[in-house]
Amino acid sequence: MTTDEASGCAAILSNISAFLDGELDATACAAIEAHCSTCARCAPVVEGLQRTIGLCRAAATAPLPDAVRARAQEAVRRLLGRL
Amino acid sequence: MKASTAAAPDRVRDDYAALVRAASGGDATSVERLLVRAQEVAYRFSLLVCGHVEDAEDVMQDALLRTYEHVKDIDNPEAFRTWLYSTVRNACLMKRRRRAGEPTRFAPLDDAGRRTHDGAAHGDPWIDRRLHAALASLPPSYRAILVLREIEGLSTRETAAVTHLSEDNVKTRLHRARVMLRHRMEGA
Repeated sequence: MTTDEASGCAAILSNISAFLDGELDATACAAIEAHCSTCARCAPVVEGLQRTIGLCRAAATAPLPDAVRARAQEAVRRLLGRL
Repeated sequence: MKASTAAAPDRVRDDYAALVRAASGGDATSVERLLVRAQEVAYRFSLLVCGHVEDAEDVMQDALLRTYEHVKDIDNPEAFRTWLYSTVRNACLMKRRRRAGEPTRFAPLDDAGRRTHDGAAHGDPWIDRRLHAALASLPPSYRAILVLREIEGLSTRETAAVTHLSEDNVKTRLHRARVMLRHRMEGA
């Protein structure tokens, strides 16, 4: 790896979180995407983080166990005097 | 490879604010939905961050009662989520303090200790077991920030308010937590 390549990777890595959070402008995003399209070091890091975040966000939308939801609803009805 | 966007958390926040507005205005259906949602938040947080599945019922009950009392006095619906997560986090901390003298196999919520826990054995299929185990292996304060940001969808500002950290600190810890979680998940 050349010095230029290494500094390019360092710049990418320092901006990964902002990139993942959609906080970078289009130009900065395009630069990261272009770098990762040719860099065997950075691409798996960014893709791995995206997969990990995707798993977390999938958990966010997964329904809770039926028993938990039923208990929560029953507690609300009891509190509101409907049982 | 594309950057993520912040649209989803914004939508969730707006949805909460609309629900809170309707509930505080006396709409019975909205009150019910808000109270159920508060308990679901309490359950997830208790399980994922505190690792105290045995405490989840108590934390849910606490969230239910406090939200019921609070909803009548809400003057800023946009701040409700910060209030709710702070309330749930405090309830988890209180449960932990009550356990202070007991032998424990659980991870504390703050950084006083760095043990891992076996929460993945709780038997609920709603979350990927590998993800749950990987979350459980993170330092507690990192775990809290990751769960609040990535799973619960709080903004950086809201997460900072709940955890009493600066926004820069939240960002730094979130980045480290993401890297750690990826290592745990993928062995990278």
